Amino acid sequence: MFGYVRPCCPELKCRDFDLYRATYCGLCRCLRRQYGFVASMFLNFDFTFLALLLWEPEDRFVPCPGRCHVNPLRRLPMCPDSGALELAAGESLILVWWKLRDSVHDEGFWKGLAARVLSWLLKPAYKKAVRRCPRFDGTVRDCLEELAALEKENCSSLDRTADTFARLLQSAAPQEGNRGRVLSQLLYHLGRWIYLADARDDLEEDKLAGRYNPVAARYGPGGDDGALRMTMNLSLEQMGAALQLGDFGCRRPLLENIVYLGLPLVEQAVFDGSWRELKKQKIWRNIT
Amino acid sequence: MRDPYSVLGVSQNASDDEVKKAYRELARKYHPDNYQNNPLADLAEEKMKEINEAYDTITKQRAGGYSGSYQQSYSSASAKPVYARVRNLINAGDLGQAEQLLYGVGQKDGEWYFLSGSIAYRKGWMDAAMQNYAQAVQMEPNNMEFRQALSLMQQRSMGGYRPAGYHSVGCDPCTTYLCCSLCTPWGGPCC
Repeated sequence: MFGYVRPCCPELKCRDFDLYRATYCGLCRCLRRQYGFVASMFLNFDFTFLALLLWEPEDRFVPCPGRCHVNPLRRLPMCPDSGALELAAGESLILVWWKLRDSVHDEGFWKGLAARVLSWLLKPAYKKAVRRCPRFDGTVRDCLEELAALEKENCSSLDRTADTFARLLQSAAPQEGNRGRVLSQLLYHLGRWIYLADARDDLEEDKLAGRYNPVAARYGPGGDDGALRMTMNLSLEQMGAALQLGDFGCRRPLLENIVYLGLPLVEQAVFDGSWRELKKQKIWRNIT
Repeated sequence: MRDPYSVLGVSQNASDDEVKKAYRELARKYHPDNYQNNPLADLAEEKMKEINEAYDTITKQRAGGYSGSYQQSYSSASAKPVYARVRNLINAGDLGQAEQLLYGVGQKDGEWYFLSGSIAYRKGWMDAAMQNYAQAVQMEPNNMEFRQALSLMQQRSMGGYRPAGYHSVGCDPCTTYLCCSLCTPWGGPCC
């Protein structure tokens, strides 16, 4: 995943900001404890959102102080280890692993060297994560294979290519019961939206490199921003509709902020080209 | 049944206006139009039913016999029997079967594209849904059902329901709601 899913911080209440930060730090610590230091380097905002979604709604927010391993002199409030964090950590590791394998496969020997080394370092952690979420690993592998096949045949259907990544993300949540239905609908459209945002972001680059790009394949080499935004907004709307039907307890305002404000802001930035700048911005900048 | 006041999220001694306001906000949130053809429509319907019952109970308790809640049902008729079967399958959520049945139809008319669009929408394939709805409207411009589906989709792409405080810049909910004032539960503009 790519870091597209972030909150709109100026609109967050202080307690929601604390909750977000504690979840982020908690996920980092969970990754480090379970899968080692290298794994925690791949922590990002998208997985934090996943952890927030998966959290049991009746669980209250009870942060406990923990030491930040990036700067061990600082003690920060962190969410204690929980089922949701462990699930999100395991799933993020599996996704990172497959993304690395993908780069090894796509790039040449020298360019893919870094990915090769990292995936070699992560291998034991990956195996451990697969033992915890075997079904998710299977779905990710199948969906990525399907996606690669569609890319090879230069598929012109935007929905079909996006569907592979959407189903991949959909399988990150347990599917049982009404809660499972709400989560899988939400994650399906989140996956679809992320895939389309990433495709739009790579449009120029892919054109220069002569690579396949789903947006170019659907709308022609220049893309069609109006039509693409419309279809992306429809996915956002479906996410909002699903969010309203689920029970998310004290995490609801934060999730609403991300879905209703954060994602549209990122979308805007992707379309007007300011995303590359925005991406580098730290959302923790107002903390000293 | 749950306490009607907690369903609406108001206290027992809330004024009639407060109850009405809370009811309207919730009805706006779970309105069938927001979930039309959505795979989670049944969950929204349950919520809507719960809210309606709670509001009815409160108004009855307070005024005796008066009921002001909002109910709506959708009905649609198909020209061909196979389309009626496809519609039933879509409503039951069996999209694979519906798709198979629809692809077996030889001649593609407006309703074919409309149903194909509905299946795509349910699946979350918004681009294909938009194309198919547009094709249906183009083939049968006078069909209100097709036109409504297309315009609802266009409206949604400008943003659906949002709780108070989450209206992004450049999106005025009142103007979007004014164009479809019939969509508000009380059949008028939202403010």
